[in-house]
Amino acid sequence: MEYVNPEGLRLDGRRPMEMRQLRGEIGVVSRADGSAVFEMGNTKVIAAVYGPREVQNRSQQLNDQALVRCEYSMANFSTGDRMRRPKGDRRSTEISLVIRQTMEACILTHLMPRSQIDIFVQVLQADGGTRSACINAATLALADAGIPMRDLVTSCGAGYLNGTPLLDLNYVEDSAGGPDVTVGILPKLDKVTLLQMDAKLQMDTFENVMQLAIEGCKAVASYIREILLENTKQLESRRGV
Amino acid sequence: MVGLSLGEQNFIKGGIAQDLRTDGRKRLTYRPISVETGVIPQASGSARVKLGATDVIASVKAELGKPNPSHPDKGKVYIYVDCSPTAEPTFEGRGGEELSLELSSALQRCLLGGKSGEGAGIDLSSLSIVKGKVCWDLYIDGLVVSSDGNLLDALGAAIKAALSNTAIPKVQVAANASSDEQPEVDVSDEEFLQFDTTGVPVGRHYIVDATTEEESQMSSAISVSINRQGRICGLTKRGGAGLDPSVILDMISVAKHVSEQLINKLDSEIAAAEARDEEDEMDS
Repeated sequence: MEYVNPEGLRLDGRRPMEMRQLRGEIGVVSRADGSAVFEMGNTKVIAAVYGPREVQNRSQQLNDQALVRCEYSMANFSTGDRMRRPKGDRRSTEISLVIRQTMEACILTHLMPRSQIDIFVQVLQADGGTRSACINAATLALADAGIPMRDLVTSCGAGYLNGTPLLDLNYVEDSAGGPDVTVGILPKLDKVTLLQMDAKLQMDTFENVMQLAIEGCKAVASYIREILLENTKQLESRRGV
Repeated sequence: MVGLSLGEQNFIKGGIAQDLRTDGRKRLTYRPISVETGVIPQASGSARVKLGATDVIASVKAELGKPNPSHPDKGKVYIYVDCSPTAEPTFEGRGGEELSLELSSALQRCLLGGKSGEGAGIDLSSLSIVKGKVCWDLYIDGLVVSSDGNLLDALGAAIKAALSNTAIPKVQVAANASSDEQPEVDVSDEEFLQFDTTGVPVGRHYIVDATTEEESQMSSAISVSINRQGRICGLTKRGGAGLDPSVILDMISVAKHVSEQLINKLDSEIAAAEARDEEDEMDS
């Protein structure tokens, strides 16, 4: 199947280096300490952060840092065919672990010992790149909750089909069987915190694809920064500053 | 949820006794409802309802299936509610399962009637395609995104809005007993209209549409599902304390009275949401 046509357009009309449309919003779940919605094209994800709060399970309490927990669940209606069980399956458990490790690396956990930070991510619509959308949403939610972090964490995926590196694969392109590289970075510090790939890829091609994904992450980072600035301005105006 | 101090509890109860709740509402006033339809593009119909800080999404997916042998001329409807941990940290893992099951069965009772399908809110025979062979299976999924009390009403409203937003393709049956679909024709399935209202007694007064704090103070609650004609389609009593039967009848009449206004409000909200939806479609 042709994923990049001779004119250089992909199935949804994008160019190979073009990301899907991003949309983010803070403060959607009023009961949570921090929450955000993040959309990458048709993939839509809600993240809610509860914490720092008292550890629920004393045996898991850490005396020198905060405990970070994460749960990823998909809504029944998020995928094309209705899903039977939204959580507890292996993929969800794996993604929960991945998100937790990524966020834990950037939260300044030593500032909040003996406490717990819960990150809950709910996928409302899945169209490829859910992992990345979840990490981006979690970053926004953590910022909304005012939890101290080293830097924002942003994530984006890229792949390689029909001899072309493609940025931000959607579900159809992802299911094509080509490689899918997901990268998560700390943009200001310029460090990679998450790197996952499936299928196989030549070493030099891999470097190109990873570089493309990192560019995508930086684009997401500037968008997230805009949202946070806008949010702060609104808070300022509400305070009458 | 953070527990309430004695002072706060008395404040809530005292306020209700004086017909002035903590957010300024009267005992029988609902919070403002906002409805958005068509939020899940890949579903046959969907809606998102916000009732104060309570936020729920309902989606309807229609699939072809085989009817139940004991009811060959009726379609099937499955209702499933999921409580997302984003609403409450306690819903993590299997924590929300109990509440999900309670909400699912309460909604099933109201919308699907008894075992034989009698008294159902949804007209199941409208879902039948070929008697005994093919029918529509409706999978109604609810998701609680944010919870601030009165989940049942919000879910009921969302399901109603999602159903009125549902477009099921018209099916033409070919002569050799297999069915062909003609998805060009969208038939909007306007199902039987329903609503749930909850009469919650706190102290000796009833309130409608409780927030989470008010719910924590209630001794028991009744959810009544009433259709447009003012008939009761379903009744659920929740909570431990026993209620005098006269109190229950009283609460039911209160629910009937409140639900009339609610049904009208909801219909106008749904119509407005659909009009907005069509405008967006025409613009894009």
